[in-house]
Amino acid sequence: MSQARRYLLRNQDIPDIDRIEVYEANQGYQALRQAFNQYEPAALVEMVKASGLRGRGGAGFPTGVKWSFLPDDGRPRYLVVNSDEAEPGTFKDRELIEHNPHQLIEGMIISSYATRAREAYIYCRGEFRRGAEQLRRAVAEAYRHGYLGENILDSGFSLDIKIYRGAGAYICGEESALLESLEGERGNPRLKPPFPAVAGLYGMPTVVNNVETICNLPPLVLNGAEWYRTMGTEKSPGLKIMSVSGPVNRPGNYEIPLATRLRVLIDEYAGGMRDQRGIKAVIPGGSSVPVLTADQLDTPLDYESVLAAGSMLGSGGCIVIDERTCMVGVAARLLKFYREESCGKCTPCREGTYWMTDVLNRIEAGEGKPGDLELIADMADNIGGKVFCPLGDAALGVVVSAMKHFADEFEAHIKEHACPMGARLYYDTVNH
Amino acid sequence: MIRLTIDDQQISVPEGTLVADAAAKLGIEIPVYCYHQALGPLGACRICLVQVEKMPKLVTACTTAVQEGMVVHTRGALVDKGRQGVLEFLLINHPLDCPVCDKGGECFLQDYAFSYGASAGRYDEPKIHKLKDAPINEFIILDQERCVLCQRCVRFMGEYVGEEQLMLEGRGVQTVVATVDHQPVVSPFAGNVIDLCPVGALLSRPYRYKARPWNLERVESVCPHCPVGCTTLATGRDGHVVRVEGRPEADRHWGWLCDRGRFGYDFAYLPDRLLAATVEGEERSAAEAQRTVGGWIAQAVASHGPESVAILVGGQHTVQEANQIARFAREVIGTERVAMVRSTRGYLPSALNGTFEDIERADTVVYLGGDPYESVPVVHLKLRDRYRQFPDLKVIGIGSWVLTRSTLPGQDVVVEPGQEVAVLAAALKIAAGEQEAVKVLTANLGDWRPSLTGVDPAAVEDRLRELGQSLLGSEHLVLLWDGKDAEMESVLHAIKTVREERSAVLPMFGPANWRGFEQAGIDPHFDRLDSVLDDCIAGRVTTLLVFGGDLLREYPDRRRAEEALAAVERVVQEGCFAPEGQEHYHAIVPGAGWGEVVGSYVNLEGRPQTAGAPATPPGQARPVRTYLLAWAHALKKNLVFEDEGRLPGMAAAARAAVAPVTRPGDLARGDDELVMVGNTEVMEGGLPSEYLASRVAEYPGRVSPQDALRLEIGQQGGRLVVEGSDDTIMVNAAPDPRVPGGRMVLPYGIQESPLNRIGEGATVKVYRREEVGAR
Repeated sequence: MSQARRYLLRNQDIPDIDRIEVYEANQGYQALRQAFNQYEPAALVEMVKASGLRGRGGAGFPTGVKWSFLPDDGRPRYLVVNSDEAEPGTFKDRELIEHNPHQLIEGMIISSYATRAREAYIYCRGEFRRGAEQLRRAVAEAYRHGYLGENILDSGFSLDIKIYRGAGAYICGEESALLESLEGERGNPRLKPPFPAVAGLYGMPTVVNNVETICNLPPLVLNGAEWYRTMGTEKSPGLKIMSVSGPVNRPGNYEIPLATRLRVLIDEYAGGMRDQRGIKAVIPGGSSVPVLTADQLDTPLDYESVLAAGSMLGSGGCIVIDERTCMVGVAARLLKFYREESCGKCTPCREGTYWMTDVLNRIEAGEGKPGDLELIADMADNIGGKVFCPLGDAALGVVVSAMKHFADEFEAHIKEHACPMGARLYYDTVNH
Repeated sequence: MIRLTIDDQQISVPEGTLVADAAAKLGIEIPVYCYHQALGPLGACRICLVQVEKMPKLVTACTTAVQEGMVVHTRGALVDKGRQGVLEFLLINHPLDCPVCDKGGECFLQDYAFSYGASAGRYDEPKIHKLKDAPINEFIILDQERCVLCQRCVRFMGEYVGEEQLMLEGRGVQTVVATVDHQPVVSPFAGNVIDLCPVGALLSRPYRYKARPWNLERVESVCPHCPVGCTTLATGRDGHVVRVEGRPEADRHWGWLCDRGRFGYDFAYLPDRLLAATVEGEERSAAEAQRTVGGWIAQAVASHGPESVAILVGGQHTVQEANQIARFAREVIGTERVAMVRSTRGYLPSALNGTFEDIERADTVVYLGGDPYESVPVVHLKLRDRYRQFPDLKVIGIGSWVLTRSTLPGQDVVVEPGQEVAVLAAALKIAAGEQEAVKVLTANLGDWRPSLTGVDPAAVEDRLRELGQSLLGSEHLVLLWDGKDAEMESVLHAIKTVREERSAVLPMFGPANWRGFEQAGIDPHFDRLDSVLDDCIAGRVTTLLVFGGDLLREYPDRRRAEEALAAVERVVQEGCFAPEGQEHYHAIVPGAGWGEVVGSYVNLEGRPQTAGAPATPPGQARPVRTYLLAWAHALKKNLVFEDEGRLPGMAAAARAAVAPVTRPGDLARGDDELVMVGNTEVMEGGLPSEYLASRVAEYPGRVSPQDALRLEIGQQGGRLVVEGSDDTIMVNAAPDPRVPGGRMVLPYGIQESPLNRIGEGATVKVYRREEVGAR
């Protein structure tokens, strides 16, 4: 395995880096000093633009461009860090906040300085109890050491960070639902436009960034935009954390230069397949993206290449599926997640995920009927592109691609009135 | 203006218009559930999918703003498939109980499924079960299974009314509409969610299982319960009104109603509705009573002259009926002793009267004496609408208790009871004392300074100056007047005279159709009524005919009204219900009421509106014209009523515009004494209703929390004995933090606690009920 120096996941090399003394001893808060000394806020935004850093929450939108959308109208601005990581298969932000919270805090101060926000929030997934505790402790440490509060490091810049714990809704990872929830409302997505940059938290200009995105800031400021561009591709430069799960020998988070090949990630970083099992499919970017098949393992893991291969890099949750696994079961199980997590606001997502899950469960349980697959495909067409927010479309990614690549498996379930892999999901509906 | 093309038709609309609204202007139907213009876009139901050229996906017409050159297709294979899909999804968990659903036949789920849905369902899985028949309060039942989760009801209550009492609960397919904390919805505007609900999820309990839409006659009507005159649809079945709905009017209003108007229609068939006549205490047929009374009138005119007959008009009569009565008085009898039954003394000249358009443009709103939420509830909603569009709306309450409320925040100037006029005059004097009108107005005021609750005496001057500046300096001023103090007319004249920008007054007082009565030729001035009562007491009147109103209940001084009735030889009442003090009446004849006669009402804007008649008068109740024609016949006079829609026009006599206001006397009340303050509340007085019985306050009297503590009535309230100088009444009262110490606010027209036995402004001693025996 070729493991170069780690930046975002330094916690894997440096014990106790979650303590501020250890963090400071390892260049901690140096980037912040450098940012204050070398950059005006606008120059910092330009530097981030030049680096080509893209949002690591899933959509991959250029971070510097996002920052530059904030209107300059004198209203208070907010930075909100999205730590509501709940995508099945993705667990990178959890490690970042549990094991290296100061990296996030330092990144937040730099980002707030760049965007001239005076208040920043961390919206922390409700289930991340340890993460929230770590953040609380680290924020308190940062206040004590003068990195937060009034006039940070005599820069004249002041910032307060507040930690807000969600209550366990996946949809609150969608930025506008997150803002609703942060304001104390039901976590339903908002109508856009206006986008958060114009009218976000409490109607004020707001930047919402993913934890990993913000964690890129300290190494980026220390090493510069050009360094960042030495990794990855022209359009997808830099570092990305991939969360590898499934029957591999070393499941876990791996920091890769973008455009690393999928096969390298699985074989070299994650130690290859357990018991030499064959790979049937890989979901490369979290449960919301279409599956890649075994013959696509040479796909470079950057935004463009994965898209060209028919999937998306998404949040980097790489779920490896071995040949023993039933793809109908995979589709049914993942769809159930979306059924449970649909906020209920828009009709196609609310009703469609429910209906489709029922039909898939039925097929997996051997009670499929001729016409079911056509029905699912038609339902997918009635959901896709007709929903209010990305959740409904995300729900379809695995189902539609699995039906396309593994059509035989689906048909066999119906013909044989049983799962050929022998797996059986219990037949459930919301009513039972 | 933005030009775009929808289904090959071109249209120009203002920037920001939504595609759905632009299409509606062209008469192109785009189906919607969640979208309502008053609530703004939401984008939840997805039924309004349309295709816009050069856009990769279908878009929702209700969330997409028009753009220059946009080309929209509202039908076509893609759109139809999309809508069909949405409808199929909406129907998979929808119970197919249309045959027993009250909405069946007027349901948008049925209509759209018919127009845009597939002919057969494909759903073969078990349906979700949720709560059915779940009451959200005493008027409204919720069927969560039928709900399409459009959120109109939730958003109406939370965003529009500002009373967040409904919410979404649960997630995903288990999402339901529920009440907040599972407590009943108590807002007086909750009934509107029945109209807003596009499907059969929120239904009226009083109307439940009463009819199917195809058995019904749904006529355009006007609410008779307060002077707002909300436009309604009254639904009749078998001669009864079984339902009242709001009736929106394009570009005017959304058709909101308050629950008083929506559910208060059951008076028509209450057991104590008059179905036959009473003559000298004996039940008689209406025909016989009609002959008897005709004889009395003829005899009175013959023996004592026409002026010995006096006529009072009130209640819910229409303009046409009032005009018939006025013509009967003048043309048949020849008497000028005609007046209006009223409970407040104020009068508002038409020249000062504003319209609801003034509210839509107002930057400052002043409540004079009363809270519109209580006396003219839908005006409160109109103000909320304005506030939502213009958050800087300044709201000022001037009264003897705090008039503003959290749904429409403002500032209050809390005055000593009855001093609203003098305080306003004093404020005008400080702000614009040099003005001639103000000089006249304040000629008798001298150096008088009020004491304002919660304001340091040293700061009173500044507070008044601020108030005066708001009254005079605002750009568009709307004053809502409770009509209690007749001298306010002068103040209102003075404000209008001094102001450069527009000001408008909206009268909150009754009777609901007083402007209509005025147009019909009935003098609305209170002193006119007083002079008729003087004539009765002095024996100049021998026969008194009362149409509609209930004199003893409504007239502010009950003793004087009783004295007048007792002095008259024969008193005849026409109406839907027996008046109070029946012993004073020699004949009572059953009249037709609202919903039973076609006619017009003129609302507080002075706007005439016509109400149809979906119902027939019950029993022997007759329209007033039947009696008038018969009595004309008894007098051997010819009276012809043309059924023309034209309204008669007759303004009351003009008076001196600005007259000096009275300087208030010194305050003299003991520490344990309270001053009585009257209030017009739409739930009290007026037509009786059993449906609304639960909404009539159990403790209508209100005292300050400190006084409640002293009187030991606790948080819930208790029964108090209110001892005036001549009379004693029982009042159920509760503490209200909006009421300052030393006064009790009591609605007019409560039969059990008649304020007019004690008198507005009277200083009273108050005890807890239990103490009486011990004393």
